[in-house]
Amino acid sequence: MSIMEYNGGSVIAMVGKGCVAIGSDLRLGNQALTVATNFEKVFPVTDRIYLGMSGLATDVATLREQFRFRVNMYQIKEERDIEPEAFAHLVSSTLYERRFGPYFIEPVIGGLWKTQGGEYKPYIAAADLIGCLNFAKDFVVAGTASEKLFGVAEGLWEPDLEPEDLFETISQTLMNGVDRDAYSGWGAIIHIVTPDKVVTRTLKGRMD
Amino acid sequence: MECSFALTGKGYVLIAADTTAARSIVKMKADEDKIKSLGPHLLMAYSGEPGDTVQFAEYVERNIRLYQIRNLYPLRPASAASWVRRALADSLRSRSPYSVNLLLGGYDTATHAPSLYWIDYLGTQAEVPFACHGYGSYFALSLLDRYHDPEASLEEGLATLRRCIDEVAKRLVVAPGKYKVKVVDKDGVREIEL
Amino acid sequence: MATDGGAYSYSLTVFSPSGKLVQIEHALAAVAGGTTSLGIKASNGIVIATEKKTSSILIDDSMLDKVCVICPNIGIVYSGMGPDFRVLVAKARKSAQAYWKIYGEYPPTRVLTQEIATVMQQATQSGGVRPYGVSLLVAGWDVNRGPSLYQVDPSGSYWAWKASAIGKNMVNAKTFLEKRYNDDISLEDAIHTALLTLKEGFEGQMTEKTIEIGVVTVPTPTEIDAERMAGPNDRPKPTFRKLSEEEVRDYLAL
Repeated sequence: MSIMEYNGGSVIAMVGKGCVAIGSDLRLGNQALTVATNFEKVFPVTDRIYLGMSGLATDVATLREQFRFRVNMYQIKEERDIEPEAFAHLVSSTLYERRFGPYFIEPVIGGLWKTQGGEYKPYIAAADLIGCLNFAKDFVVAGTASEKLFGVAEGLWEPDLEPEDLFETISQTLMNGVDRDAYSGWGAIIHIVTPDKVVTRTLKGRMD
Repeated sequence: MECSFALTGKGYVLIAADTTAARSIVKMKADEDKIKSLGPHLLMAYSGEPGDTVQFAEYVERNIRLYQIRNLYPLRPASAASWVRRALADSLRSRSPYSVNLLLGGYDTATHAPSLYWIDYLGTQAEVPFACHGYGSYFALSLLDRYHDPEASLEEGLATLRRCIDEVAKRLVVAPGKYKVKVVDKDGVREIEL
Repeated sequence: MATDGGAYSYSLTVFSPSGKLVQIEHALAAVAGGTTSLGIKASNGIVIATEKKTSSILIDDSMLDKVCVICPNIGIVYSGMGPDFRVLVAKARKSAQAYWKIYGEYPPTRVLTQEIATVMQQATQSGGVRPYGVSLLVAGWDVNRGPSLYQVDPSGSYWAWKASAIGKNMVNAKTFLEKRYNDDISLEDAIHTALLTLKEGFEGQMTEKTIEIGVVTVPTPTEIDAERMAGPNDRPKPTFRKLSEEEVRDYLAL
């Protein structure tokens, strides 16, 4: 038994045209036993950045609090919102602090950054449990269904999807991915981040 | 073996825990109360490593009480659960972690809502409509999936709880004999005879 | 307290009955005795400059640095005690690198200035130490606030300036700058104004050996976006740099 698979759960983020999508399943388990079916693994960081975490649920909660603390301190000190790149590095360095006794989570970051011309560009990144960053141009996945999610996403994702199409793509990827994983599922939550708003939808799947 | 159940209903949370204190294969005591009231509207059932359980429960109890003395009002259930979770999560990565599993049931007098938190020794926390710890969970959870009703009256809730206890008594080889049942609602906490 | 000496470790900086911290006043006197430094914010950059004085012609002044790069986007200059400045430069550089290690980018000017100011403030409240005998001019560029120029004093207070001068000739220099300054001055003009200001009350010959200049240049929007999209192995393009002796000589010739 791996600690990373103890509670189960999966997270995914995808790039669209001027938007990003990030989502997770809702299961919390104790190995094969499902304990809760409302356990969200994606959290808002700023108006335009979301952080998803899969892995050991206690560390998901601890790190969520840790990152909220650090981002709040950043915003007070710098008098501005943190940007996706800086936040990704913050996540990486926070995890690497515990290099030899790590938090058992894999983070996934999705956000938008503003160019000097005023338009917004999507940004996604993921890391392993000690903070090795992976900047992808299309999609990133993590969790017990990651292999399946890679496969489905590889088939469904295409460049420059509009928010509505991106929602459909990420939803289908996540729902079909977790259906082949006993440790993930029980519905999902998806956030579509666009320059002017974030649309959040809760999905029902095979509720078994 | 240790079992605890909890479920929410209309304006209340019911918590039941077995009353056996065992050392290895020997029952040392048959009337141990494993549900503490942490405040006027907060209950906590604890189970796990003998010794750790009482030690940790008292630590929580005193700290929640200290908060009430300092601030003149009690910690609300969500905040109390969060504090306890953090205490366990910190303990997990200390030199001698506590092995204690908890069910935290509370009634928020500000929002008039009952809430139940499932917390394990790792510091995993989930807000749930019903929850169990111990081997009983393998039997009771599926029953609760079928019979739990968040709008149920106290009588109906107790009937569901009885189903769980009966099922565990019937099917679990190492089923405990006796349970203590407590409820928390707008009037506070009290014990109920099954 | 930096090192805990227990209840008997009092700060050297104590209030006088009139409410002054005399040690800080003395530190300011040390600054006022130091060589003049100044900074001017232009519409497209910043210039910081200082006079470099040596006690003997035998000293190799090409090895002397009064304008220092802290990180690719920030530079500082000082008036007052050289050794104290060196210590602050080392701390500021370390702080900038620590910031880079966490966020993958260099600190905004304001954040670094606050960091230095905190170090200087702590020296006014800790046991067994004296305040730093320097005032600093911090010039930098960042995406959030663009070019900015700060002054930090021994007390740990800091302000943002459009133009300022510190050191021996600061009163005259500031009056001169007030007359010469306007909001849409170009960097080239600012460099000349800086040299003219230094000339007032300059002892001896102004040469590329006796003047140090640092400039902040503002990158174009395209350059800023390119910088953000650069890979993790690309080095940031500096926005602060020191002018070489040749460049200083050219400006003096004009």
